[in-house]
Amino acid sequence: MTQTVLTQAQAQRVSIPSPAIAPAIAVRKTCNPDGVGLSHYVLMDKKGAR
Amino acid sequence: MSARSPAGTHPEPTFTPLDIGHPVYAALLDPDSAFWALLDKTRVADTLAGGPLRDVYRQHAEACRRELHALRFELKPSGVYLNPTERCNLNCRYCYLPAAQRRSGGHMSLDRLLASLSRLRDYFRSTMPEGSKPRAIFHGAEPLMNREAVFAAIDAFADDFIFGLQTNGTLLDDGAVSFLTARNVSIGVSLDGPSAEITDATRRTWSSRSVHNRVLAAMDRLRGYESWSVIATCTTENLPHLTAMIELFHAREVPTCMLNTVRCTLPGARTVRPDDAALSRAFFAALDRTYELYRDSGRKLVVANFANILIAIVAPTARRLMCDISPCGAGRAFFALAADGSLYPCSEFIGLPRFNGGHLLADEGIEAALASDAFRAVTGRNVEAFKPCSECAIRHFCGSPCPAEAHEMNGAMGGTGAFCAFYKDQVNYALRLIADGKADDYLWDGWDDGTETLFDLAH
Repeated sequence: MTQTVLTQAQAQRVSIPSPAIAPAIAVRKTCNPDGVGLSHYVLMDKKGAR
Repeated sequence: MSARSPAGTHPEPTFTPLDIGHPVYAALLDPDSAFWALLDKTRVADTLAGGPLRDVYRQHAEACRRELHALRFELKPSGVYLNPTERCNLNCRYCYLPAAQRRSGGHMSLDRLLASLSRLRDYFRSTMPEGSKPRAIFHGAEPLMNREAVFAAIDAFADDFIFGLQTNGTLLDDGAVSFLTARNVSIGVSLDGPSAEITDATRRTWSSRSVHNRVLAAMDRLRGYESWSVIATCTTENLPHLTAMIELFHAREVPTCMLNTVRCTLPGARTVRPDDAALSRAFFAALDRTYELYRDSGRKLVVANFANILIAIVAPTARRLMCDISPCGAGRAFFALAADGSLYPCSEFIGLPRFNGGHLLADEGIEAALASDAFRAVTGRNVEAFKPCSECAIRHFCGSPCPAEAHEMNGAMGGTGAFCAFYKDQVNYALRLIADGKADDYLWDGWDDGTETLFDLAH
């Protein structure tokens, strides 16, 4: 019987399944700033329901 | 600090790795530009050595820096906090206004209030783009102690300002609610506990009477109105009850609340200052409860002060609150008008005479105040100028609030405010939510309407 010798890299591929790599996340959104709220108050801009 | 690149060259990343306590993800941040990325923990070393993320950074870092610089140093005021009276019918333990003012201070007369709004309108017309309305928020002490003047002013300047009103809620009767909601005035009320016993520990009348049920009655009157919110101030007295408070707010259909740390500007507030770690535990349990309630009911209860941290990370210029940025919004995005006509950088400073920037109705009153030493002491407070903030990776997500608090606690503007560790915990929590794809569940629907996406690595 012929013996197959794996290189180190091949051995790792065979014996250790690569764990899934989580995708990178990076987001940046932009707009014209108009915030004037502070910790004592937050402006709610939605129209009143009545 | 990272070095800035000469114009026209690609900046090299100066990433700071951050363990955010997530099982899979770690963060890389460039503090100066507030550029961040979440990476598989096993890839952090590779990414620091090179790769696609560095290319994204090189492409966008200068735009991020410019944007942040404009937000921090190039704004002009677009809002004013108006104190139409020095008086309040409550004596809350942590109030930042001096007790003598609140108990026996004066009202601003209607004539003075109208003259003040006229001056403010003319100023904002000269500085804001045509078609943009400034915000005018009636603030406290308790503005409804001077109700007739406030309501007359709202009607007189309906075309000139977007109005808001922050009240303790005790005087918000049927007539007041009808008047304010018919005019789309944004209303904030305050409540510190899920039961009278808890609320009474910090918020009572001068004769120590409970106001808990009166505020609940006001909240019932506001149910169904979209432009209202409730502020709960987190102290040692209510920390174990934050989750129950969230349940109460959600049951009463509060659209937005704030779970604010008590501002330790005056000594009374420091007697109910919670420990950072205990605050984090209670605060995140309450946030977790908002998520469960949203999943169960389909209705959000946004915790605005935390939402603002999330937004500061994803879209720095879309912040609604301007406390968590350095310099903060005081004296540059907004300012405050005291009942005696004096201008202050923010209402938080009204009890501190050295921050009086002069009289509104004096010649060039607003311009002089903005240029005054009193205002510059606040607008010049910069996290790059003092430790530990200058070495902190999240300094532009937190802003080291609050300058009034820091000044009174430290004796100078340099130095952090009262809750440094809590802010770090909030940023880590926010980044974990982003990693798990849950961030939008903690934000207002449509929060990013009107924004443009500079980059989104997932797409």
